[in-house]
Amino acid sequence: MKRLLSGNEALAWGAYHAGARVATAYPGTPSTEILETIARFDDIYAEWSTNEKVAMEVALGACYAGVRTIVSMKHVGLNVAADPFMAASITGVNGGLVLICADDPGTHSSQSEQDNRHYARLAKVPVLEPSDSQEAYDMMAIAFDISEQFDTLVMVRTTTRISHSKSVVDLSRSRPAPTGEVGFPRNVSKYVMLPVNARFRHPLVEERMVKLAGFAETSPLNRVESGERNLGVITSGVAYQYAREVFPDASFLKLGITHPLPRELIRRFAGQVDRLVVIEELDPFLEEGIRAMGVEVTGKDFIPLVGELSTDVVGKGAVSAGILTEPPVPPGITAVADLPKRPPLLCPGCPHTGMFFVLASMGQRLKPPDSGDNPAKKSNLIITGDIGCYTLATYPPLNAMDTTACMGASIGQALGMEKAGIDTNIVAVIGDSTFLHSGITPLVDAVYNEGKITVVILDNGTTAMTGHQEHPGTGVSAQGNKATKVELENVVRGVGVSDVRVVDAFNMKELRAAARSALASPELAVIIVRGACAVGVPQRGEPRVVDAGKCNRCDVCLLIGCPAIQTVDDKVYIDTTLCVGDICTICQQVCPQKAITPVTGETE
Amino acid sequence: MAKQLMKDPLNLIISGVAGQGNVLIAMVIGNALVENGYQVMFGQTFGSNQRGGSVRNYIRISNETKYSPIIPQGHGDIILGMEPIETMRMLKEFGNPNVMTVVNPRAIMSIDSRGGTTEYPDIDKLLADIEKLSSKTWVINATEEAQKMGNPILANVILAGGLIGANILPLEKNSFESLLQERFPKAFEINFKALNRGIELAKS
Repeated sequence: MKRLLSGNEALAWGAYHAGARVATAYPGTPSTEILETIARFDDIYAEWSTNEKVAMEVALGACYAGVRTIVSMKHVGLNVAADPFMAASITGVNGGLVLICADDPGTHSSQSEQDNRHYARLAKVPVLEPSDSQEAYDMMAIAFDISEQFDTLVMVRTTTRISHSKSVVDLSRSRPAPTGEVGFPRNVSKYVMLPVNARFRHPLVEERMVKLAGFAETSPLNRVESGERNLGVITSGVAYQYAREVFPDASFLKLGITHPLPRELIRRFAGQVDRLVVIEELDPFLEEGIRAMGVEVTGKDFIPLVGELSTDVVGKGAVSAGILTEPPVPPGITAVADLPKRPPLLCPGCPHTGMFFVLASMGQRLKPPDSGDNPAKKSNLIITGDIGCYTLATYPPLNAMDTTACMGASIGQALGMEKAGIDTNIVAVIGDSTFLHSGITPLVDAVYNEGKITVVILDNGTTAMTGHQEHPGTGVSAQGNKATKVELENVVRGVGVSDVRVVDAFNMKELRAAARSALASPELAVIIVRGACAVGVPQRGEPRVVDAGKCNRCDVCLLIGCPAIQTVDDKVYIDTTLCVGDICTICQQVCPQKAITPVTGETE
Repeated sequence: MAKQLMKDPLNLIISGVAGQGNVLIAMVIGNALVENGYQVMFGQTFGSNQRGGSVRNYIRISNETKYSPIIPQGHGDIILGMEPIETMRMLKEFGNPNVMTVVNPRAIMSIDSRGGTTEYPDIDKLLADIEKLSSKTWVINATEEAQKMGNPILANVILAGGLIGANILPLEKNSFESLLQERFPKAFEINFKALNRGIELAKS
């Protein structure tokens, strides 16, 4: 069966056809579709875990019980899951355990670029890197075999381009019937990492790496493609495709296993070519390993360390290194004026907008995008932020976010600022999924250490930024079944916060009142702002329009930052195809002239 | 074996504004090409592009091999632009004297909240520039036609019909039919009508 599949879909099919029985993940671009795809199969257990650490721990338990298990996450997710990841290395596995880790070169939708192959070196586990969807599918079966044969977690590392590009996959295998009993063979020296046992396991881990290096020497995943001998290219992942296009006649050593390195194979290949180069995305992971072997090699002196590669980038680098005389010159059209960009914005009808408008007006931060002024610099309110759609409130006109670091950081950062002696009001803003992911422990910290900050939880009832995944607060499982719903207000009260308010995300009066009293309060306060994500609302209400007769161009409505509200020919105008209508009405509520009404002209 | 391409790889770019159904129609076209026996590498940009962001799909079609998922600059062969600015953006990056363009002339305004150019360019001049920069141009009033048919979302299928009617992709109408049936089981008829309308418009 041949199908056009993304790398993520192919990885899911590969795991399914390799007999995986448990799959865990926390959503994160570019990894999200792996679990979404696998969750559609009935004969597998798939869950959205609360965060990546939990996902790794659930996966570890499942593999200890003897079943093949995959856990998937984005690169920064592994930072969260690093502790159980290291533990997985030292205990090894029972059923096969494969971690799919999706790096994001080019920082398409992440807070950082990082090359997660370093984690594999740290943990002493093998890394496989597919170069297209077919390899992604094929490698999953091999990854499980390696995991079981060598008693190790296996990392499959993809990148945004591999995960999100689609190409033809021959789904040549089929799902095996379940074999073997599910059962946990108690083995204290393997599974209980008391120091005495951990000491005993460490040499086994080192031996494992030696055996894996031997395996990598002869594995068909590492292959030589002979070409002209004047240039030899060692490469992996998507970089292989770019390099192939730029150097069609060169000799290639294409590495499917990038850790541990097949040293003898590399030495032989190096001996067969006049000039050896490594083409890889992000860090010189292969290059440094090869140089440390005493083999003369270059790479990062002409291939950028930063950002995503492409045929163009590799071509330019090759010219600068004197490998190519001239890049295929793009005709390039420069005679065209700059075009307006379309940066991501909070959507029309976004339930986050109202609270940000309130915080921004209280902190005197609202300014039109073209004012060139940054009022947040001298605001009497500090807003620490978190990771989700709501990070977009950083930009004008709202200017309503001052920090974003990593999942859950807003609350701890706000507390730290308070304890450092900042005497203005400090608000931490965090989404529902992010709060459950890693906002609870810092809130416990703020309760325990008697913080006086205000925490705003923006509860849109979904994991919106990654494309509407379920989470513990939605009451629905990853496989679409009814699940136990974790109520945010119960969690917040349960850890000891007494000042808790739940407000309607589209009621400006309520939002203002809640923000005023929470900021005035001498103790820790939590405001839960509740309203459904606009993208998930199937029905649209009656759109709003501007009555040009009443409008005096005070432009308060433009400071909301709603994409549906625009100026055309010096008049404020609402695009009725974008406006969500009745569920929102924020513009109508903030208009001092009462110039915004439903299309039919009726106002209550 | 699939029939010979006018160029190998043939680089098709489908661009527009998130929410227009770009990715969906690119998927239908990609699947139709696979069913016709071509190797297809389909690169997408998504991530934090929610509604209103620029979206581009790269489809690289070959008889021989898979190509990398990013089309090199200046190497676009066919551009299907669902919005004029997004069409021009692709021409700037991937244009060359041979590029052929199918464009929907309906403008979608943008808010550039990060400063920079915010003014939408003069639409007539923009369309004239698109024609000037393309070896051949088909202007298909897809949004307008879709509204006449009762739903602006049909514009993407009308534009796909435009590509077929322009006869620049190695695809026949019938290779689309079954895929539309599969994708839109309940709304097949209206989508099929939209496809045919696009074919007619490109031929007229």
